[in-house]
Amino acid sequence: MSALKYARNAALSLALLLGLLAGLLGVSALCAHQPEPLPALDFVPPAPGSYTLHRIMPAPDGRVLDIDGRSQPLSRYTRGQLTLLGFIYTTCVDPEGCPLAYRVFDLLKAAIAATPALHGKVRFVTLSFDPARDTPEVMRRYAGSRAVDTSGGLRWYFLTTRSARELMPLVEGFGQDVRVPYDRTSGRARRELSHVLKVFLIDRAADIREIYSSLFLHPQTVLNDIETLLMEEGSRPLRATETK
Amino acid sequence: MGHIIPRRIAALALAWLAFAGAAFADETCNSPYISTLIKGQEDYVYVWALGVEGLGDGSDKLVTVDVNPKSKNYGKVIHSLSTGARVEAHHMGFTDDRRYIWAGGLSDNRIWVFDVAADPAKPKLVQTIADLGDKSGYLGPHTYYALPGRMLVQALSNTKDKGGQTGMALYNNKGQFIASYAMPTEGGGDGYGYDLAVNPKKNALLTSSFTGYANYMRPLGELIKDGEAMKKFGNTMALWDLKAMKPKKVFSVPGAPLEIRWSLNTKDDWAITATALTSKLWLVRQDGKGEWIAKDVGAIGDPSKTPLPVDISIARDGKGLWVSTFMDGTTRYFDLANPEAPKQTYEKVTGKQVNMVSQSWDGKRLYITSSLLANWDKGGADNEQFLRGFTWDGKELTQKFEIDFTKEKLGRAHHMKLGSKTLRAG
Repeated sequence: MSALKYARNAALSLALLLGLLAGLLGVSALCAHQPEPLPALDFVPPAPGSYTLHRIMPAPDGRVLDIDGRSQPLSRYTRGQLTLLGFIYTTCVDPEGCPLAYRVFDLLKAAIAATPALHGKVRFVTLSFDPARDTPEVMRRYAGSRAVDTSGGLRWYFLTTRSARELMPLVEGFGQDVRVPYDRTSGRARRELSHVLKVFLIDRAADIREIYSSLFLHPQTVLNDIETLLMEEGSRPLRATETK
Repeated sequence: MGHIIPRRIAALALAWLAFAGAAFADETCNSPYISTLIKGQEDYVYVWALGVEGLGDGSDKLVTVDVNPKSKNYGKVIHSLSTGARVEAHHMGFTDDRRYIWAGGLSDNRIWVFDVAADPAKPKLVQTIADLGDKSGYLGPHTYYALPGRMLVQALSNTKDKGGQTGMALYNNKGQFIASYAMPTEGGGDGYGYDLAVNPKKNALLTSSFTGYANYMRPLGELIKDGEAMKKFGNTMALWDLKAMKPKKVFSVPGAPLEIRWSLNTKDDWAITATALTSKLWLVRQDGKGEWIAKDVGAIGDPSKTPLPVDISIARDGKGLWVSTFMDGTTRYFDLANPEAPKQTYEKVTGKQVNMVSQSWDGKRLYITSSLLANWDKGGADNEQFLRGFTWDGKELTQKFEIDFTKEKLGRAHHMKLGSKTLRAG
């Protein structure tokens, strides 16, 4: 067992334990969603580096707003490090949607913090697809301490967009489904939208290498994938300027 | 596909006030990654029909049938979209967001992508993917299985010798080729392919096996007299590590195992299939030690008469299974309360030849089509070509409507998918 693998497994166990304790004790997080325990995987995942994560497609680019309201290109947050990006909206309550992603991100953050070999190599991005409600200030409150926490070798960015017009190319580019349900009797669009959770693992050259739905989003599989990409870089040093 | 952006922007801008949660699961035979589920009354059945030379325009087409009993058009064709090609149209599948149907033919490598979200009553052809053969070497795309942001396509043949050695091709939802995976030829694998189905909880991908172009494009009467050709059918299923996309184990399942259905009951972790040539039901599950096994769990009809089971449809709770057998035109229901010992509890002749069988999520409605393959369908008066809609009350199948695909000059009715006007997406 490699030192990285050992450290990662130990860190993941610690993170899962912390999540379990938090859930059992009802410990309140400093932010909108509190981490809850996740059930263990019902299978033994393939070892990191024993499989290939293909380049699914390039991550799209566009304008986003950070929590200070500054307009930035999304590529600033999808290049140079491995990026785990998920779409959310702050009022989402579906337990298999945004809250699940939040829990997984929290558990991963703890695992990465406890694994020095991963420090500085991964970032998280949480991007709202509700620009009307999720202003930069709302995203700041939603993030709580996560947005300013620089410990643990990982930055977590909370982003939104100025408008649906700026958002939609990103939604379309990622293939993040957002649907307008229609009322059967009136035929009119209902006030709410529906979406399916997707989380994207993006490599340093901004290529999407894995897409997780709720059925496959688990800290163990994501960490394995992160390690797989790092092992790939180790064998073939990535030079982003030549890759793209 | 980018043309839908402006419409969606407008729709989203109007409706950007609140959101609903995600829905998971689907009608009983689709990928578990498909986002939306028609739990109530479906409005449409999309039928992927084979063109027939001299009948109408002779092309393969996607036919939309109104199946809502409350509609004035109930049981009628409301839309037909011709591809302009005749390539043995066979199966189709939704993308994970259920906005698009991918459909293809077994004598070709093209994949047609239809937008069924902009207006579910009028699918629109938005893309044709034409690089399957060049990129993978495979021929005859059969199963289109949605993965998150991707489509896994199982082929039946190959471009080199048009035999049964084949594999799967992975595309992203934009129709760009990503990778290919050969069917296993080691560890007992025979290299054939047919269907695939995923159990995400177990990281398990199951595949089955049929035969190659050289066989399935031959007239059936001629083929069955060719002893050597009849040896060239798949006799295996394979269990893959889904994450790694690597075969882990090959099962001996003699007689061309076809459609694979995992039980959708969250307490279950088994899958079932039917073998075409040996007329058996096979169960794939883990034993007490966690080892995956495949076992023969019973016959379908009288195997000595080769009823040729060609499609199965599993109940949403995993407690029942519809089986259609082509040669005797019979639709059978098996009680799967004990999947180790399925019991046939009902049968009815639903046509002179029957092929695909699809049920609504609640199991109350059943749709049946007639065509197996252009060169395998029966001749003369037995060559009925139809979509028939039935209701099922737990005791009796009652036919409610029929569309004669020959009379309507539509061709041979094969695969079906359900649609709903509520799935309109801007």
